[in-house]
Amino acid sequence: MSGMPLGSLVLVLLLAPLLPGVATRTRALLTGRRGAPVRQLYSDLAKLWRKGVVYSTSTTWIFRLAPVVVLVTAILAACLLPLDGREAVVSFSGDLIAFAALLALGRFFLVLAGLDTGSSFEGMGASREVTFASFAEPALFLCFIALVRASGSLSLTGMLGGPLADAWPSAAPSLLMVAAALFAVLLAENSRVPVDDPATHLELTMIHEVIVLDHSGPDLALILYGGALKLALFGALLVGVLIPRANLAPAASLALLALGLVVVAALVGVVESVMARLRLDRVPQFLVAASALAFFAVVLLLW
Amino acid sequence: MTLFFVALALVLAGGLAARYSGALFRLLVGAGCAVGLVPAVAVLAGGAPRRMSVPGHVPGGPWVIGIDPLSAWFLLVVFGVGAATALYGVSYLDRGRPSARASLEHLLLSFLLVSLALVVTAAAAVPFLMAWELMAIWAYLLLVYESESLAVRRAGLLYLIVTHTATLALFALFALWGMPASDLSFGALAAAGPALPNGGAAVLALALFAFGLKAGVVPLHFWLPDAHAAAPSHVSAVFSGVMIKTGIYGLLRVLLLLGGAPAWWGWTVLCLGVVSGVLGVLWALAQHDLKRLLAYHSVENIGIILLGIGAGALGLTYHHPVVALLGFAGAALHTLNHALFKSLLFLAAGALIQAAGSRDIEHLGGLARRMPLTWIAFLSGSIAIVGLPPLNGFVSEWVTFQALLAGGLLGGPIRLEALAVVGLALVGALALACFAKVCGIVFLGQPRSPDAWAAAEAGGGMLAPLFLLVLACGFIGLAPAVAVGSAVRVASSFTPVGGEAARHLAAAARLAGWVSAGAVLLVALVALGRSRSSLRRRRQPTWRCGYAYAEPRMQYSASSFAAPLIAAYQPMSGVQVERTLTSFRSHPTDLVVSGGVRPLWRGLRWVVERLRPIQHGRLGLYLSYVVVTVILLLLMAR
Repeated sequence: MSGMPLGSLVLVLLLAPLLPGVATRTRALLTGRRGAPVRQLYSDLAKLWRKGVVYSTSTTWIFRLAPVVVLVTAILAACLLPLDGREAVVSFSGDLIAFAALLALGRFFLVLAGLDTGSSFEGMGASREVTFASFAEPALFLCFIALVRASGSLSLTGMLGGPLADAWPSAAPSLLMVAAALFAVLLAENSRVPVDDPATHLELTMIHEVIVLDHSGPDLALILYGGALKLALFGALLVGVLIPRANLAPAASLALLALGLVVVAALVGVVESVMARLRLDRVPQFLVAASALAFFAVVLLLW
Repeated sequence: MTLFFVALALVLAGGLAARYSGALFRLLVGAGCAVGLVPAVAVLAGGAPRRMSVPGHVPGGPWVIGIDPLSAWFLLVVFGVGAATALYGVSYLDRGRPSARASLEHLLLSFLLVSLALVVTAAAAVPFLMAWELMAIWAYLLLVYESESLAVRRAGLLYLIVTHTATLALFALFALWGMPASDLSFGALAAAGPALPNGGAAVLALALFAFGLKAGVVPLHFWLPDAHAAAPSHVSAVFSGVMIKTGIYGLLRVLLLLGGAPAWWGWTVLCLGVVSGVLGVLWALAQHDLKRLLAYHSVENIGIILLGIGAGALGLTYHHPVVALLGFAGAALHTLNHALFKSLLFLAAGALIQAAGSRDIEHLGGLARRMPLTWIAFLSGSIAIVGLPPLNGFVSEWVTFQALLAGGLLGGPIRLEALAVVGLALVGALALACFAKVCGIVFLGQPRSPDAWAAAEAGGGMLAPLFLLVLACGFIGLAPAVAVGSAVRVASSFTPVGGEAARHLAAAARLAGWVSAGAVLLVALVALGRSRSSLRRRRQPTWRCGYAYAEPRMQYSASSFAAPLIAAYQPMSGVQVERTLTSFRSHPTDLVVSGGVRPLWRGLRWVVERLRPIQHGRLGLYLSYVVVTVILLLLMAR
């Protein structure tokens, strides 16, 4: 049975804007409100795409290029993940490094675009974004070491597309810890509670939202879509670790992926309704805890 | 070999011609470097290694000079970066009217390039040490170009002391190694390797000290930021891009001659790599002086190279040729890549410092509009040094990551090297933060000083070498298979590994290159499509929180940008913060200087003070010292 990497890529590209909606809706329901419709982001994107755009007089071409880089790097990173549970669109030894580096490239340009406006708020957000990323990156790579060791492969396809199913019986505790650490990284990388609160509108406490403060119209749409796609990617990574789907029929595998992504998004919503955002200087501790969890997984697998 | 010597002669002739014409200097040095690349590329493309001996009887046994793949690789670095910096230097120093001082600097630069080329091709201890010492002296003279400044003279003195300490350790190294050997040529030393006591422990430790001092490995890096910040920018580029790499060359050469190292050595190198990488980038983050910041990034990148060497050495020790191949290939590739992007960054920094009249990041800003081409060059260098696709830094970090992860797949102690991946990931994330700070504060936003307002684009004589380096970075990033293939050839002189692993790596590199190329192409296509769309565009000032008066001082500063990171990593970051109700300032300190070098220096001075009584300045007393020493020596030699 061959996989359908392109089909699953299209599915994820289409499904991505649904996930922030699911998270917000879950949060609303759990806090006793009805909340915005699940498809809110689709409507937002459609509206933003039709709007004009305002550029700050202090910005340069970096500001206009950054949204494109954010989108393109997220799509290329998606090409490296075995979304159908079997194989990725592109796969090579060490592609997991390319995955992390592509997302980092998107972040680099987003941060530069923030600084391009010359606004203190965006400088503040940019500074926080790179600070927390420096804690999230080691945690992500610890997860990768554990997965490499558990699966015996240096590529994402080799890691998630098969051998992990055989590793589960022997390495279940480690893989569960990896999944928990990955979830923490997902929350941090996607600016979710407890690291950042997408719903807040007080600039002094925001991270991601404040970097994109001056973006408008289609530029903002690209960034919002890129963000949703990034959430989907980390979700797919998590689903890939928890539910090896190499032996399923392609249709079942895709259905399971879609279901898994929705469940992950709902989980994000649950986290948002049961806990508050951490104080900024506590965020590193949260991510170090995630790293420690992944580190224990690595230690268990190395011995 | 003839071509190699022709190249050296051309470079020397260029240096001598600098007095008469800057254009002639450019032409001759450029031609010399181009000619010098020919034998290097020929050897890397699979040609036979070249070698020759100096005829006749010379002190210290045959003087051999040769180009094997390892030498050829470093010749690429010397001649490649050398050409770019020499071309740039003329416009940078002359500023329209050549001066005697500047032409002396050009002459010294050509001397330095020749010595560097000889260091990496000498195949016997005596010519190696001679070239090494010459390199150190030319470098000192180049460094003190602006000798009217006290800081420059101090940095020069510190450099001179450090480099001679390293030379002394090298004398000890070759003396120890030469004892069991028949002569001092590298061939004889290699043959004597197994006869060394304790598996060559003393030689390896001395090599790590001497070459680590040259390369600027933490904690032996303390001279490096001062020296690199004090030199003229194109000289800093040669120092950072090429000269500190002779330390890396030395480590690799010793390892190659010994055919491997005990486990402790590999682990030490790996740990030093992590420490240098993380501390180097962390200290870089705290700097406000652009050139010091770049110098600390050299410490970081030497750490990344050491990670590759450590993985390679461990692969040899534990007999895992694939890990060894990946490790050495990663180290070699990162050496070349760092040479390219770091010299690019130093040259671009030189251009902007000259234009804006300040090296203090806090006084710059908004240069992207004033120097658009320098900005593109600097941005390319930044993307490369952070290790992001589509440029060359990504390729070598990718290979190094794989070397470490491949070790993690195996059994035995080598599996623990996978943990170093965390260090490399942290280094990458912190480097991103640091270059976001530099690019954002220096080039974007509004200028923070009148000089920065008035800055104008650099001239073509400075921009052309910059874009040569950008092209080289882009070529290795987008078509990595060529560079990876050559690096694998260098690495396979350490470990005879089947073509299988090399082919596998080359195929993966090709795909990684496609991903990078895809990123460039897609971004270009989408950006083009967007710029042509009939979008309503308006321009408004940035929202300043309700304040009508938009002051450049209201922008985020470099100190504030780095503050949360520095706070999060205290006390490792070693920064003193000064906070009042209305101001925030941070002062970077070097933990090794304040905690190690200064106390050591004070102790040394104390000892020397005690020795002072034997110095009277009376000739008769000194003569009696000589007599006593000779008698003692005769007694000992009896």
